[in-house]
Amino acid sequence: MTPGRKLAHDWHDGVIPENVVFDETNVIDTSYSFRRFKSRMSDALTLGRGSAIYANSGFDLGPDARVTIGAFTMINGAEIVCDEAIRIGDYGLISWNVLLMDNYRVPSSIVERRAYIDAILQNRLRAIHLQTKAKPIVIGENVWIGHDSVVLPGVAIGNGSIVGARSVVVESIPDSVVAAGNPARVIRRLSD
Amino acid sequence: MPPHDPRLPANVRLGEHARISGQDSFKRFRSERDVALSMGERSCAEDVKFAIGRLGHIAIGSDCYLNDCILLAELEIRIGNHVMIGWNTTVSDSDFHPIAPAERIQDAIALSPLSEGMPRPAALCKPVIIEDDVFIGPACTILKGITIGAGAFIEPGSVVTHDVPARAHVGGNPAAIVPAGRDE
Repeated sequence: MTPGRKLAHDWHDGVIPENVVFDETNVIDTSYSFRRFKSRMSDALTLGRGSAIYANSGFDLGPDARVTIGAFTMINGAEIVCDEAIRIGDYGLISWNVLLMDNYRVPSSIVERRAYIDAILQNRLRAIHLQTKAKPIVIGENVWIGHDSVVLPGVAIGNGSIVGARSVVVESIPDSVVAAGNPARVIRRLSD
Repeated sequence: MPPHDPRLPANVRLGEHARISGQDSFKRFRSERDVALSMGERSCAEDVKFAIGRLGHIAIGSDCYLNDCILLAELEIRIGNHVMIGWNTTVSDSDFHPIAPAERIQDAIALSPLSEGMPRPAALCKPVIIEDDVFIGPACTILKGITIGAGAFIEPGSVVTHDVPARAHVGGNPAAIVPAGRDE
């Protein structure tokens, strides 16, 4: 690992943060993926053996966020918004424009929402302490998430399952099924 | 009212400290109304596309934050105060094309490059009203004629096909009331 952790052939002039754990079996296309990376945790992002972060994937991690990605998992242009924990198992296939978020990052009460909008408009978002609670996302092994899907806070997806393209996953999905739609429903069981 | 920003179309009215930024905000801005777009104090529209037809009008209240969304107004879109709209959301007050097959053929012909300037058959338009303190998440679609009541929360990715009551929490396609407690 080079000091400053610059990638070879990176079109973006940036570095991989120190608390990202990866090795020579991994591919990261560009440091641009870390432009919104603010985690101060140790091992804030861990990449399993042979996993890859392609294209315009993004890691929007808050100060206390920790993301774990399993072996042979491909993140192909997905956005990961995390304030607490997101775990993706081995052999995962996460398609383009998929959004995984463990926190809405917007208050549900109207009064707090007004304060939040004011903070954005006055460009002092960093000063505001969001009271919305993150709820970790757990994605099992061998899960394929189709393009443009959204996985909402607190969702678990079981081993071997598939999420159809453009789905919105609002509640947990069991092992070995195909789920699709908005909100996502189980539409078929998969046999081995 | 602050002096008019020369980079904006003449029929745009901005309140004190309101701002509009982005490259293509007025690419499809064709309104001939005296006031085609108004935005209240401190409201901010970043990369918002204001696609306003010849007779269209959009009124946005104060303290709103709109980011990378598309507002298509052939008639009228009214947005209250303290409203937040997320990226890739589309709000439209028209059907774009006629529903009846024969009229739709006329529309296809009028839109073709062979028929420049040919008048298009009318599509159904109904105003959209978004009341105060509404939150609309990313990737939502709000269809014509919809009223979203004050304080409502629209989940990311929702397609809103019916009116939303005040303070309701809705999601899905078509958007339905989210059972209380699902995310508390």
